[in-house]
Amino acid sequence: MKVVPSRSSEWVRPVASQKPASAIIEIDRVSQVFQTSTRKDHLALSDISLTIEEGAFVSILGPSGCGKSTLLYIVGGFVSPTSGAAKIKGQAITGPGPDRGPVFQEFALFPWKTVLGNVMYGPRQQGVRATEAEAQSRGLIEMVGLKGYENFYPKELSGGMKQRVALARTLAYHPEVLLMDEPFGALDAHTRTRLQNDLLNIWERDRKTVLFVTHSVDEAVFLSDKVVMMSKSPGRIRQVIDIDLPRPRRRNELLLDPRYQKYVVDIERMFDESDETGSPS
Amino acid sequence: MMSAAALTRRAAPALACIGLLATWQVASLALKNDSFPTAIEAIRAIPDILGDKESLINILASLRRMAIGFGIAVLVSIPLGLLMGRSRAVAAFFNPLLMVIYPVPKAALMPIIMLWLGVGDITKTLVIFLGVSLPVIYHSFEGAKAVEEKMLWSGAAMGLSAAQRLVRIVLPAALPEILTGCRTGLVLALITMITSEMIARQSGAGNILFNALDMGQYDTVFAMIIIVGAMGICLDAIFERIRARLVRWSEPQFDMPLSFS
Ligand SMILES: Nc1ncnc2c1ncn2[C@@H]1O[C@H](COP(=O)(O)OP(=O)(O)O)[C@@H](O)[C@H]1O
Ligand SMILES: [Mg+2]
Repeated sequence: MKVVPSRSSEWVRPVASQKPASAIIEIDRVSQVFQTSTRKDHLALSDISLTIEEGAFVSILGPSGCGKSTLLYIVGGFVSPTSGAAKIKGQAITGPGPDRGPVFQEFALFPWKTVLGNVMYGPRQQGVRATEAEAQSRGLIEMVGLKGYENFYPKELSGGMKQRVALARTLAYHPEVLLMDEPFGALDAHTRTRLQNDLLNIWERDRKTVLFVTHSVDEAVFLSDKVVMMSKSPGRIRQVIDIDLPRPRRRNELLLDPRYQKYVVDIERMFDESDETGSPS
Repeated sequence: MMSAAALTRRAAPALACIGLLATWQVASLALKNDSFPTAIEAIRAIPDILGDKESLINILASLRRMAIGFGIAVLVSIPLGLLMGRSRAVAAFFNPLLMVIYPVPKAALMPIIMLWLGVGDITKTLVIFLGVSLPVIYHSFEGAKAVEEKMLWSGAAMGLSAAQRLVRIVLPAALPEILTGCRTGLVLALITMITSEMIARQSGAGNILFNALDMGQYDTVFAMIIIVGAMGICLDAIFERIRARLVRWSEPQFDMPLSFS
């Protein structure tokens, strides 16, 4: 059965207000239906339309099960939507490609490769010469703070270190868009904060487009230019909020900034006001 | 200097062998049965067998069949198992087939195979091949099925094609499981090697063993059992070394917390 999106839901505020020239990813009326084990259709995403500007850090925020991962997988080309279409630079997305680099909550490192082997994998696949790929990879490993761990196997690393490797591995093949699915979700609070800071530092250097899935309001506000709030059953976009905070952002300054605090409080209230089962976090 | 614990660990296999032989010796002396020689009598017969050119040729022929059967089985079974683990269609086709073959003792097929292919090397090698294939297919299948999807997605995003993902991600990721299957396969190769020679007598280690049994040379029978057992232990030890080297990245670190060591 195909679900044809009827009309845009009243919450949706399309983000087509910016110059369309700088749009890198366009999600156009995407719906996703899954067959559940009881053979019923489950509408995981309903009529999602979203445009992401080149160089923007965009977070997708919503309760667990609202379809955040599914949306990211569709952009990644790992899942094809039941209806609607996603485009990158005007081209329809038909499958995965090195222009979109995923970073998963589960790290998904290659356990039989060392840290260096993992990071070099992408460039080598792209045909970069071994010596060159190695030099670049060593640089990236240093950038994510793992100098000295080049010859360690993933099983010898902590969760936070594994995610650093995963980030370096993805950055190594220079994707135009980073797709991050709750990358810090499996980490303890302290490690999580440090990785948020480091990610922000790295991002502020080269301003890659980032699509970042999270269920943490603080994380979304701290990192993003734009927060896409989703709601559950079916997964829809509730609201898109521009986070107008100065960069570079410093955590210790931001936490004291009333504007930051207001964003967090407002977004949390919006979730509480909704009559849905899921609350953010 | 070796610690006491390390010394015990080194000596443990030897101690186990000595214990087994001592038990045998005592049991044999106690039972006083002609068809149950003592361990010492059996060990004394070993040099006679290994010193005899005819016997050596027989044993080497056995090992050759075993190596060929095992090698071909591994080369065919790993790709098949991996494909089954990653493709529902391939699994749906082969699973029922394998389920039919699995419980049949492969040696039971020998009389039929002998009718088709005679009693020579081909028949025996084929039986070894069949014996080894199933555990290797099964473990490759399970290993491939368990490969984390996100790992494959990561590879796809780097530009690996489906075939490249199978060879360069599924194969290494499933390797620990595949090698577990190969280890079982190696033992089964030895078993089917001997049974095939029991059924199609003509040459081989099994042939020496069962001829001696027919002639009532029980010390030779038990000497052959020791030789075959030793071959099994050596092959397994060699395999285990190779395996440990190949999958060092996945080995859990053990030998620390056991309270009784
Ligand atoms: N492959 C699948 N088959 C069936 N249902 C799925 C599948 N993937 C996701 N779902 C369902 O779709 C909904 C959204 O899932 P997901 O995108 O993982 O949400 P989130 O990432 O926001 O937690 C959930 O109800 C989930 O159970
Ligand atoms: Mg998710």
